[in-house]
Amino acid sequence: MSALGEPTSSTIARAVPRARLSLPRLGTLAKIAWVSFAYLFLLAPMIVVMGSSLDGTEVYSKVMFPPERLSLQWYERIPDAHYRALALSLGLAAAVSLGACLLGIPAALGVVRGRFPGKSLLLAFFRAPMQIPAVVTGVAFLKLYYLVGDVTGLFLNATFAGLYLGHLFVAVPYVIGTVVSVLQRFNSRLEEAALSMGAGPWRTFRRVTLPTIMPGVHAGALYAFMVSFADVPISMFLTAPGFVTYPVELFFGIETDFNPSVLASASLVIVFSLLLLLAVQRVIGLDNVVRSK
Amino acid sequence: MNIRWDRLLIPSFIVSFVLLTASQVIFLRGSLFEDLGMGRLSQVMSLDNYVLLFTDEFYLRSLWLTVKVSALATLFTLMLGFPVAYVIARMRSRWAMVMLAGVVVSSFVTIVIKVYGLMVIFSADGWINRFLQGAGLTDSPYTIIGTQSGVVVGLMQFTMGFSVLLLYSVVRTIPMSLEEAATVHGANRLRVFRRVIVPLSLPGVIVGALMMFNMCMGAFTSASLLGGGRVLTLPVLIQRSVILETKYGMGATLAAVLLVSVVLINLISIYALRRFKTARLVIA
Repeated sequence: MSALGEPTSSTIARAVPRARLSLPRLGTLAKIAWVSFAYLFLLAPMIVVMGSSLDGTEVYSKVMFPPERLSLQWYERIPDAHYRALALSLGLAAAVSLGACLLGIPAALGVVRGRFPGKSLLLAFFRAPMQIPAVVTGVAFLKLYYLVGDVTGLFLNATFAGLYLGHLFVAVPYVIGTVVSVLQRFNSRLEEAALSMGAGPWRTFRRVTLPTIMPGVHAGALYAFMVSFADVPISMFLTAPGFVTYPVELFFGIETDFNPSVLASASLVIVFSLLLLLAVQRVIGLDNVVRSK
Repeated sequence: MNIRWDRLLIPSFIVSFVLLTASQVIFLRGSLFEDLGMGRLSQVMSLDNYVLLFTDEFYLRSLWLTVKVSALATLFTLMLGFPVAYVIARMRSRWAMVMLAGVVVSSFVTIVIKVYGLMVIFSADGWINRFLQGAGLTDSPYTIIGTQSGVVVGLMQFTMGFSVLLLYSVVRTIPMSLEEAATVHGANRLRVFRRVIVPLSLPGVIVGALMMFNMCMGAFTSASLLGGGRVLTLPVLIQRSVILETKYGMGATLAAVLLVSVVLINLISIYALRRFKTARLVIA
């Protein structure tokens, strides 16, 4: 992406004395303070959740941060329903991520490489689900499933398939967006070269196109996973008691009665997310994933 | 030999088209039926729900409130998020990776967990209140539950991680060399910011801001949990009428009004900003 930008900039940086580029000290301090504040804002709720989950008090309402007496008691009391909901959320997010890639990659290739008019209109169409408020998507799919159920007798609400379609609907545009942006930077002459050297279309795709768009695919898959894994407004309408995703389970947990074991299971999720990111960083490089956007 | 790329489009197009039109058409049609109570709907199509909505000040105020908290949350998120995105994008050390990871983790974790955190932070004997009372700034504990500012903070928590990632990708598209060139020719930091960074990132920032605004308009988690039943935004009303009151007709009507408002606001903004032709943000 900045393959062209960076070498030039560092050459200039070398040619120009560093001192002229450095900022006045006060400005730097203000910048550091502002960014630290932003990070405090961003991370404090999660740190507090993790910290207070270790609190050892026996009284629900007295759980606080920093914890007064360390204990893992709330971890032992995580209800089974949380684990079940978490398993559903993880399976769903993984499946949504995969499905969004299967639909999104060909769509992106078709839009960028195909020769036909009205491409920007088509892209706008593919991105439409991102503009629809999530709560509206939830209601719309619920109504759709009621109607389909009335007509065919096949009720999709509170089924994995129903939940899956709703999540897929909002996840696909992310994959299309990231892959399109990679493709637009990528020279199609590489493909033409491969083809003219005798590689078949499938071989060209596998050996030339796919490796090039991979950063975009990774980014899109990560976004799709994120969107599905964290969603409340859509899942709220498409789940039912006994069949809920993790965020919805937590949502009702807050609304009905506050039990600190929620903090414990939430901490497990935060730690899991960190580990997942660590794995992404090891295997693909977080940098590549985020930059390819 | 030529690859027929356009054919690849067909399956995705069909799936997207069916899901989009089927869901939207059916719910928009559903908004035309009056509720008879107990989840039953009238058989006759009418605009009664819409008439009720636009003549009842309660619903209109709710719409205005939704737009207001979403706009405020977007604005504050931009103010807080842009410098972070800028700093990470321009960092040359390995710490950039760590800072980026912090942002990504935050967007991975569902807003419900963050709301729990906010509740603990702002609880009556939590940190902030002990500090405020210790410093003699307040007598009674300050709470964000049930206040609009609480909802705005919740929405910011919801969009912040995502917005930093978006803005990061925007800043990365501005070559560092342009800023350096401006500096070499004598511009100070403020001038570089005003004349180079702002104009070049503005199109992307605006598209990103619209995305955050859309996210806020569709979110009810923060408003529902932090609003404590007193900050009734449209998404909260929609969730209540569908899930609690089983008023599917009115729920659909509210959803339709929300959808149309969002689409209109997006169209107007994009139209007003058409002159920034260079706007090319990847994901929006």
